[in-house]
Amino acid sequence: MPKCTIDGKEYEFKPGETIIQLADRVGAIKIPRYCYHPALSVVAQCRMCAVEVEKMPKLQTACSTPCAEGMVVKTASPKVKEMQSSVMEFLLINHPLDCPICDKSGECDLQDYSYEYGAADSRYDEQRRTYIDLDMGPVIKKNMNRCIHCTRCIRFCDEVGGYREMIAMKRGNSTEITTSDGKPLETDYAGNLADVCPTGSLTLKEFRFKKRAWMLKKTPSVCEGCSKGCNISIHHEGGTVYRLLPRENQEINKYWLCDEGRFNFHHVNSETRIVEPAVKDGSSLKMTDWKSAVSKAKELAKGNVLVLVGTDLTNEEITDIKKFADTNLKGAALYHFGTPGVTKTSDDKAADKLLKRTSKTANLNGAEKLGLKPYTGEKSGATIVFTGGRAVLPQGISGTVIGVGVFEKEDAAKFEVVLPGLTYAEKNGTVVNYEGREQKFQKSIDPKGKSKAVSDVVKLWV
Amino acid sequence: MSKLLSEDFYKEIKKIKPRYPTNQALLLPALHLAQKEYGWVSKEVMDEIASAIDIPPSVVREVITFYTMYNLKPVGKYHLQVCTNISCCLRGAEDLMHHCEKKLGIHAGETTRDGKFTINHVECLGACGTAPVIQINDDYHENLSPEKIDKIIAELT
Amino acid sequence: MSFTTPQGVEPFIVSKFFYNKEAAALDYYMKHDGYAAAKKSLAMTPDDVIAEVKKSNLRGRGGAGFPTGMKWSFIPKQSSVPKYVVCNADESEPGTFKDRAIMTYSPHMLIEGMIIAGHAIGSHIGFIYIRGEYVREAEMLEKAIDDAYAKGVLGNKVLGTDFKFDLYVHRGAGAYICGEETGLLNSLEGKRGEPRVKPPFPAIKGAFGGPTVVNNVETLAAIPWIMTNGGEAYAKMGKFPNSGGTRLFCVSGHVNKPGLYEFPVGSVTIRELIYNYCGGILNNRKLRAVIPGGSSAPVLAPHELDIPLDVEPMMKAGTMLGSCGVIVIDESFPLVKAIRVITHFYAHESCGQCTPCREGTRWMEDVIYRIENGKGTLKDVELLSNIAANINGKTLCALGDAAAGPVASFVAKFRSDFEDLIRGGHNA
Repeated sequence: MPKCTIDGKEYEFKPGETIIQLADRVGAIKIPRYCYHPALSVVAQCRMCAVEVEKMPKLQTACSTPCAEGMVVKTASPKVKEMQSSVMEFLLINHPLDCPICDKSGECDLQDYSYEYGAADSRYDEQRRTYIDLDMGPVIKKNMNRCIHCTRCIRFCDEVGGYREMIAMKRGNSTEITTSDGKPLETDYAGNLADVCPTGSLTLKEFRFKKRAWMLKKTPSVCEGCSKGCNISIHHEGGTVYRLLPRENQEINKYWLCDEGRFNFHHVNSETRIVEPAVKDGSSLKMTDWKSAVSKAKELAKGNVLVLVGTDLTNEEITDIKKFADTNLKGAALYHFGTPGVTKTSDDKAADKLLKRTSKTANLNGAEKLGLKPYTGEKSGATIVFTGGRAVLPQGISGTVIGVGVFEKEDAAKFEVVLPGLTYAEKNGTVVNYEGREQKFQKSIDPKGKSKAVSDVVKLWV
Repeated sequence: MSKLLSEDFYKEIKKIKPRYPTNQALLLPALHLAQKEYGWVSKEVMDEIASAIDIPPSVVREVITFYTMYNLKPVGKYHLQVCTNISCCLRGAEDLMHHCEKKLGIHAGETTRDGKFTINHVECLGACGTAPVIQINDDYHENLSPEKIDKIIAELT
Repeated sequence: MSFTTPQGVEPFIVSKFFYNKEAAALDYYMKHDGYAAAKKSLAMTPDDVIAEVKKSNLRGRGGAGFPTGMKWSFIPKQSSVPKYVVCNADESEPGTFKDRAIMTYSPHMLIEGMIIAGHAIGSHIGFIYIRGEYVREAEMLEKAIDDAYAKGVLGNKVLGTDFKFDLYVHRGAGAYICGEETGLLNSLEGKRGEPRVKPPFPAIKGAFGGPTVVNNVETLAAIPWIMTNGGEAYAKMGKFPNSGGTRLFCVSGHVNKPGLYEFPVGSVTIRELIYNYCGGILNNRKLRAVIPGGSSAPVLAPHELDIPLDVEPMMKAGTMLGSCGVIVIDESFPLVKAIRVITHFYAHESCGQCTPCREGTRWMEDVIYRIENGKGTLKDVELLSNIAANINGKTLCALGDAAAGPVASFVAKFRSDFEDLIRGGHNA
């Protein structure tokens, strides 16, 4: 394997690798960058990744310079430091001092690199350039004054999204990065623009002013939005989920997350989620204690009992339910439900060219592997519905209904008993994606209210 | 929807299409042809060009705003493009510009009320040896002076 | 033009037919040995053609001065995609107006040069990318090309041989940066005229992904003479190593006889050109500064004009020959205003891709404007130099250097002009 030297150390590189790719792969070499992104084309525009290459008179951008046998590179020489500092200065002369009110603060490349490579003072005495912001739609909040023209957003829409939704208009210092005719974004992947933007120019409307980035705890998890099983990171604080970010997984979702998955956490925090055991009293559900609720449930679950299992539940939960049904509900029929129209893994197809799938729950494959059959409208006297809050409740469930899991007040209005359970954010578990890939995820927040895990509910029931 | 661009436009596009291996290469020629018909390029015309050469309308937006020669709003019948770059400045282009503005009663960037004249600053036109120079529509007028431009404007009025 | 015949010193190679409008016609050209060089070249092997051009020491006449023969030799012999000959007729460097004259009076010289280039690199398609403002010149080229097709000079059997060559005119739309070869290629492809990251170089991946040679109008127009008279004869005319032939010098500004002058390279100094050929300074005023190579060239003070006009001597003197646009400034024009006008140009023409140019050119313009209007401080003069130094050599393409070099040179050589304005005296 060919070798080159970076900062005095020798490294083997893969033929065709650029200096920045090598640096990122070995991990110990720090090269700052804005426009470079491993999943997008190389444009060498920001000039921040400049390095000194022996025998070359000008500094070279590490993102666009392939490694060569015997190449000697310095990433922190005086010349490099000077260029990094000058690039920082140029980027900051028109950048508004918005840090105190900007969502990106704390996770902003501009802030971080300014601190490491920039100057403490500004020499700029001229008028700052400003733009008028257009509405980019429900997902992204645009603040063009903060833009550093790295063009990652343009390249993301073009190369990953497949359509040139974001464009650069005009040229030179007046260049504005916008949508065509100021139209709102149509892509289902708009949230990724806030991820790739190195500043607070493109931020999530949903997250705006909600929480400071450094206050958030981050727990790795798996998206339950569909059967793709994209890896995510749940950002939470004080028991509330504030946002979901994609976690890099080159085999599943690379760096991306669709908007449906990204915003699939409102049911966790929802104020109308049932988080206390409830029993129907008259025409409406009344909150009560666990003992009373379980006892009422046991009373109702007699005779021809139907057990419906949401395909958003984990392998562990489904196994517990099977055992429970076997032991305590002799003769009960078990069926899985989750996405109307997609009842088998063979029905589960790609819903777009990128990530989305037609099965809108994370564990259809797991449910099938555990031997459950799809619900096709069978009727019975009493139905127990287990769900994690994502599976779509089937229409026309018959007889008395006992809900175990996550329900909105509205959805459970006709139920006799509700035993509140856990969303994916409140439990550990394993799900199987459409490819048969088993993925474990961790609990991020404590169960809301008085909600209990399926295993605990079962213990109370027997 | 009825087409905004003429038969001639479509004929010309068809004629030059075989020259280029991509559709997008037709864009600059198409924009020039469209501008010849209306004097400027509206959003509707941009969309028609996009569908005529089969490229996304957003691409037409980003390309047209990069170049200075495409007018995004109507211009007067006579577009006075005054070079105010260095060689012309050395030979009195700034005075010439002020003279034109005063004569026509408008500032650079504006159009006379009767829609006859528009004045704009432009960069070096490549006729520095015969400065100062004004390009009126397609033609260069060189070796100018306030008297000479007065004469030309009078002839055009 | 104010002249009726070519100016300068014989031989008049590219200005041979200046200012004769009839000379543009194909018949006229043919009567004056037109296309004889192409016939001769088509009978040679491509390698032999390239060798002759290499021998000539012809350097690119656009501004960069890259040896033409070497550029042609970089094109790979085999290619799975078509190869292209692209003529850079985007002449937009302030102070430059030579290509316009060549295209007006000698369009066939250019066409002939492109045919020879096509044969040399194995290309069968040529594009003349002409700046959008040159409307009449584009029409003239279209007519010349139509006539050439009609007479079998272009098409499937060029001049009766088996060589196929198609040539098309492609108009730009107002962007100086499209004179940069990769900006030009992007513009040809119908995109924003933004320069590309190199590598890959156009010789490998140029127009539409194919190996491409991009040459200036004057460069291509010189090729027929070289093929007819031999590379050695061309090289011999040069006074300095590695640089041969003649060049068209464009003189503008405060001289009595501005215009185009053709000289063998290195045979004339700037002083000689201005005083012996251009009639000296207008109205007998005092000379203050000369910008010798188009506005991108660092400025020279009056005592620095004894430099021979060729690539190496100019580079050694800290400036550049560039596009040979000699701009002469006398005492009547404030120098700070001059550099402001020039810096405004670069800020306006910056494509906006890379940080130092996008932000720095506008910043320099704003600072100079403030100084010009009496609102500057002495610190601003240092600041200007520093911004220029932070742009120079740090950008994606040469426009950054073109903007920074002049500013740095004006500050270095005419500092007192800036300081006078700052201290309140509005001296020139």
